[in-house]
Amino acid sequence: MIRAWIRTALLILLVVLPGCRKTEQAGKPTIAFVMKTLNNPFFIDMQKGAESAARELGVELMVQAAEREVDVEKQMQIVENLIQRRVSAICITPSGSREIVPAIRKANDANIPVLIVDTRVDEKVLAEAGASTLTFIGSDNKEGGRIAGEFIVAQLGGKGNVAVLEGIPGHETGDDRLRGFHLALDQLKEMKIIASQTANWERDQGFSVFQNILQAHPEVQALFACNDMMALGALEAIAAAKGKHEIIVVGFDAVDDARMAIRKGDMRASIAQNPEEMGRRAVESAYKAMKGEAVARDIPVRIELITGETLSAESKGK
Amino acid sequence: MRWGLDSQSHCSTTKDKREQRLRVISREVLWQNSRQFGTLIGLFAVMVIFWILSPYFLSVSNLMNIAEQTSINAIIAVGMTFVIITAGIDLSVGSIVALSGIVLADLLQGGHSEPVAIVAGLTVGTVCGLVNGSLISYGKLPPFIATLGMMSVARGTALFYSDGRPISGFDAGFRFIATGEVLSIPVPVILMGLLYVVAYVVLNRTKLGRYAYAIGGNEEAANLSGINTKLIKTVVYGMCGLLSGLAAVVLTARLNSAQPIAGIMYELDAIAAVVIGGTSLIGGEGKISGTLIGAFIMGILRNGLNLLGISSFTQQIIIGSVIILAVLIDMALRKDRKPLFGKGLFK
Repeated sequence: MIRAWIRTALLILLVVLPGCRKTEQAGKPTIAFVMKTLNNPFFIDMQKGAESAARELGVELMVQAAEREVDVEKQMQIVENLIQRRVSAICITPSGSREIVPAIRKANDANIPVLIVDTRVDEKVLAEAGASTLTFIGSDNKEGGRIAGEFIVAQLGGKGNVAVLEGIPGHETGDDRLRGFHLALDQLKEMKIIASQTANWERDQGFSVFQNILQAHPEVQALFACNDMMALGALEAIAAAKGKHEIIVVGFDAVDDARMAIRKGDMRASIAQNPEEMGRRAVESAYKAMKGEAVARDIPVRIELITGETLSAESKGK
Repeated sequence: MRWGLDSQSHCSTTKDKREQRLRVISREVLWQNSRQFGTLIGLFAVMVIFWILSPYFLSVSNLMNIAEQTSINAIIAVGMTFVIITAGIDLSVGSIVALSGIVLADLLQGGHSEPVAIVAGLTVGTVCGLVNGSLISYGKLPPFIATLGMMSVARGTALFYSDGRPISGFDAGFRFIATGEVLSIPVPVILMGLLYVVAYVVLNRTKLGRYAYAIGGNEEAANLSGINTKLIKTVVYGMCGLLSGLAAVVLTARLNSAQPIAGIMYELDAIAAVVIGGTSLIGGEGKISGTLIGAFIMGILRNGLNLLGISSFTQQIIIGSVIILAVLIDMALRKDRKPLFGKGLFK
């Protein structure tokens, strides 16, 4: 009985559906945007910026992301599928600075321009693969790391013990922030980095890793986390230690939760990137490329220090 | 298919009995076909829907693209089919992919030749699988627990071995495994095709395969009838590890990089492919061709939903729903509606 029903239903589908097959969709210019993930406010802001730019320019925008941020193979699949979809340009925030290169090469072979957003691609691997990208749109993460470092130095009066929570090793973004941070601290003899460990960008790992650091180094005075998620995790670890520690926490990205923590005084500062602007610039540049106009090789997006003062100035301004 | 040990006892050859047996057999063949037919219908339904909705779906290059993307999951799913037929489960395949990949990549970067590195990668996978199998057979651990432990151990070892960093950049010769084409068919697709032919023969024409069904159908009966169930189970898990290692070779060549965090949740994709393909999680039943179809259904879904530009959140809902729907239809088409999940997982 059930079998008969299923068979009938399928027959009907087979007859009816081809009638509504769309074909006019082909050839309409579409810009694709492949994000690392869509469950991080940073990328949702980026999506917002991209969507508003697409609306203004009157182009179609497809935003896609893998289920998990670290899944480079799924991101590659998405890019391959978009190549099959014959989009006019692909903006990518790479889940892996090296692992995305084969996918870029495939897009090159299909003559689809690739724009890299937020996380840089490993230039050496890119050259080896004979692949190329049109432009990079993103913050100067090294500069951001340096700003964070100088802020901590100033807060501690040039003398103190600092811990660092790193991102996933091998991610250019995190590595750049770390390099910038070291740039600010390394020549100062009295500033000591007593612990530097990865918490893989994640809040729960930020909590557990920083809890361990607190155990091993109770003398820690300041923490630089390479993103806010890890900083927020660390704040919980500090709270769990029940006021035994007075620690200056500086994050990166200035996501909403971090801004709230800064207003409350739990967190001292964060470095704001401008993901919305990145998204907007990416779509605008992709549009230019589509029209055959020249696009700059490197498009820096402004970066700024967010503290309690800048936040209260901001709310007064409104 | 249920591997009935009682078939041997039907040796008396009165005409009546023989006719009755023939009738039973022909009925069994019919069902088998209708069940297989059910999974195929699912595959075609998904393809027709995407063909209608997207003008980009049905092209040779896109179908090749899908086959290439499906190959990694399909390779792992072969091992998973064997394991599930014995009423087991292997949760460690994703972590084994990562560990094999890291070892392979490290040896390649250390200047070892490709065959040496590949054999080492495959060996690492096989050893992990054999450890799983021994823990289950001789240590009497439930498969769920043994492989859950291995999932963590292999992942940790991969992270430890690599310092948490990806290892990347290999010669074109090695990358040919993923980027090469023979007669304009991508190498991973050829690998997958050959593997399924071999797996079909092993499952249906060798003692190992038949015993796997027997163990899944009734382990105690299999044991009593003289099958070395412990050895067979160990070999089956070892094979699953070996195929995870093979998937690691393809994945590493494809990304030109091995990552210690690669393969997270691959076990679920593989289990989904096996279950969509009509293999019962209680064991004793299942077909390798069904698994291939299951893997393709998953691959086509991901591809088609990308082509349509469906939001990634909606995609997850759709993929999950299709898995449930596929199994529901499969069960409806089955004569004996046994639950798919039972003692198998925690036995």
